Amino acid sequence: MKAAGIRGVGLVGSFGCGTGALENSLRKGPKPPEDLVFFVSGRERRIPVHAVDTSPLDNFVSKREIRRIDHFSRMALLGAFLALEDSGLTDASRDSLGLIIATGYGAIRTTFAFLDSVLVDGDSFASPTLFSNSVHNAAAAHVAIQLKITGPSLTVSQFEMSVSSALLTALRWLDQGRVERVLFGGVDEVCSVIGYCHERFFGDSGGRIQPFAANRHTAVAGEGAAFFLLDRQEESRYGLITEVRQGRITKAVPFPEKGSYIINADGHPGCFSLYRQLFRPEAEVAAFANHYGSFPSGQSFDLAIAALALRNGIFPSISGQEEMPKGWRYPGVVGKKGITCLKCDGEGYLGAIGLKGG
Amino acid sequence: MTLGRSVAVTGAGCLCAAGANLQASLKALFSGIRIPAPPSLFRTSHSLSHPVFEVPESFFPQELPAENDALRTARLAIAAAGEAFADAGWRSADLASLRVGVVIGTTVGSAMNNEGFYREFRCGGDPDMAPIRRFLRSNPAAAVARHFGLNGPLQTVVNACSSGSDAIGIAAQWLEDGICDLALAGGADELCRTTCNGFISLMISANEAVRPFDRCRRGLNLGEGAGLLVLESPSLEQLRPGRVRARLAGYGAACDAYHLTAPHPQGTGLKRALAEALGCVEPEAIAFVNAHGTGTPDNDRVESIVLAEMLPGIPFHSTKGFTGHTLGAAGGIEAAFTVACLGMGKIPASIGCDETDPELPAAPVRHVTATPGRFAVSQSLAFGGNNAVLLFEKGERS
Amino acid sequence: MSTKEKIKKILVEELNLEDITPEEIMDDAPLFGDGLGLDSLDAVELVVLVQKHFGVEIKDMDEGRPALQSVDSLAAFIEAKSRL
Repeated sequence: MKAAGIRGVGLVGSFGCGTGALENSLRKGPKPPEDLVFFVSGRERRIPVHAVDTSPLDNFVSKREIRRIDHFSRMALLGAFLALEDSGLTDASRDSLGLIIATGYGAIRTTFAFLDSVLVDGDSFASPTLFSNSVHNAAAAHVAIQLKITGPSLTVSQFEMSVSSALLTALRWLDQGRVERVLFGGVDEVCSVIGYCHERFFGDSGGRIQPFAANRHTAVAGEGAAFFLLDRQEESRYGLITEVRQGRITKAVPFPEKGSYIINADGHPGCFSLYRQLFRPEAEVAAFANHYGSFPSGQSFDLAIAALALRNGIFPSISGQEEMPKGWRYPGVVGKKGITCLKCDGEGYLGAIGLKGG
Repeated sequence: MTLGRSVAVTGAGCLCAAGANLQASLKALFSGIRIPAPPSLFRTSHSLSHPVFEVPESFFPQELPAENDALRTARLAIAAAGEAFADAGWRSADLASLRVGVVIGTTVGSAMNNEGFYREFRCGGDPDMAPIRRFLRSNPAAAVARHFGLNGPLQTVVNACSSGSDAIGIAAQWLEDGICDLALAGGADELCRTTCNGFISLMISANEAVRPFDRCRRGLNLGEGAGLLVLESPSLEQLRPGRVRARLAGYGAACDAYHLTAPHPQGTGLKRALAEALGCVEPEAIAFVNAHGTGTPDNDRVESIVLAEMLPGIPFHSTKGFTGHTLGAAGGIEAAFTVACLGMGKIPASIGCDETDPELPAAPVRHVTATPGRFAVSQSLAFGGNNAVLLFEKGERS
Repeated sequence: MSTKEKIKKILVEELNLEDITPEEIMDDAPLFGDGLGLDSLDAVELVVLVQKHFGVEIKDMDEGRPALQSVDSLAAFIEAKSRL
């Protein structure tokens, strides 16, 4: 399999908009989460979440064009515009551009808003606009329409494995010459139901993700979109994606390997125990979910951080994380062996994305 | 794209309102029997009744009872997967040593839209988490992999109504690149009150039995089911000669980039997807086309225009008159039908088309039609402007 | 508020037409295509909105198409139906 070059990165997260905003967050420490407010049994509940502001989208499209586009698709659209802009390929033909979006839960705010339209007024008042925006591929549709992408379009929803699964197909498309380039992105949104689920399943997170906490739930729900323009160039300032693997964790999947790791440890101790089993004591491991939050497609942000580390030749010097497990150390200079982004889920699956300098 | 080394289809399974398995479904298709009815799984308060194509409980295998901890979509997928594996001659124990990928298209199977849970939540209640747990356990690809103990990569494709076709095309690409040895691919979807309300609100749900390509077509009927194929890599297929029902000879996909719900009026994306799937295969070599044929005015018009232009004179039919529109499952179910019909050398009448539409440049077959020829096409169009086209070639086990 | 004024307010607010005010919408301007620029998805949303705000049902698009030509035609349709 040939490698895919990362030509552009577009990010929208609670840290702000663009790669600069993420690097700023990594340098200065993550912004504290905001409160999401809802009511349970008549009592007000406040749940911390990493929420996104999509107003910079006004720089790319008119209000008229996005009048029916919801928050979920706005995040995706903004990420897509930024990745394309960052690649410098804004004027290149979109004929041979494929689009792949990975999402764990899709447009859940709109999914529930559609149910509101039915539950408030009755079945015959169901809103067709909300319904059509609630389908999982609505974001891909809006991105394709706004960016005039006429190549193949794919949306994948594999919960925590969404990013690695979708990327597996993105690399096939490039490798088999099906398209010249792929615009690839992960996107998920937060809403009050997610806040409620977090509270019911995990209890109080403490309001700050501590990626290396082994025995406590510290997951803070988040949202965002991380997009990438991928192509078949063998030279790329952000490095190359050389390998993607996804499947059940078995002996057939040999880990640990060499090089540095970015793990998507986002405050779930059950998953964290899997990372501990996988690594040798001397592993070089970093985790950054405290900068963007816990959500199924969060691995796309790790991919962005890996791309930035490859561009800079060095991992970000970070502040605000607690001590690592004994023996693990934080990676410094990016070595020849590159970086692997690794995500484990509660079902015992892993998704691994290998990157090397280009 | 024309697939370099065509991928073998060694098994097919399907469960839909037409039948409990592929053979029973085909029997219904060729005898012209269909039974749309008001939904029994849920009720709506619309003034007019909108018939649907439900899978009766008796169609589910006995060893697969309804579970409280999984969505119906997962159960449909597991039932069809069991049939497909059996048809391909694979036992669970043999699969354990292979890298088996699962690629399944769905819509409802990946939507967190439990109405009971949400009704209680939005009224400020403290709803039980069981519906959310059930949703989290029911990702179709993951549920099938868990049931059969499969270890390979998973992909749940959510391209709306083209999901099933896309899933099969993607699985073939995975096999070609050696990501897995064998893949289970297709689609699964359940009937759901939310989707029902959605399609009625879009005014594309008919309040009578669906009439694809008919002059007076008034929209679709929703359906449910699952259709899955067993696809094998060239090296695995060679170990068990004589098993190949068909080969996936091409897959094309393209986006209209035109509108959220309406297809491009000239079918630009569909044309591109069809051309990509056909590759170098001449139109004359195509035995028939299983059209998307939902019965909505727009869909059927666009398909007719594209088929008249690109595959003139090639017989086509819609099977949605027998199954309803099964959304994410449609591409999978219709791929199973296409593989079977290619083997039989005939296709059923496109039921519901009683009076051809003079405004359409091409009309479907209205009788059981002999379709000699090596290749067949199955095509899907979707919300979001997605178009996916599969090209199958006859295999030795036909 | 007259039926026409109410329709214009609904168009702007419910269809998020942020670049135009209700007063700027001409009574006889086409709602679709070159006029107000609405499309088929707006049409079905309007069917729901008309039922919600005026209690008037548009059964199908055979009935909806002539009614949804302009503010004038929609107001006439609503007023005729309301009298029944």
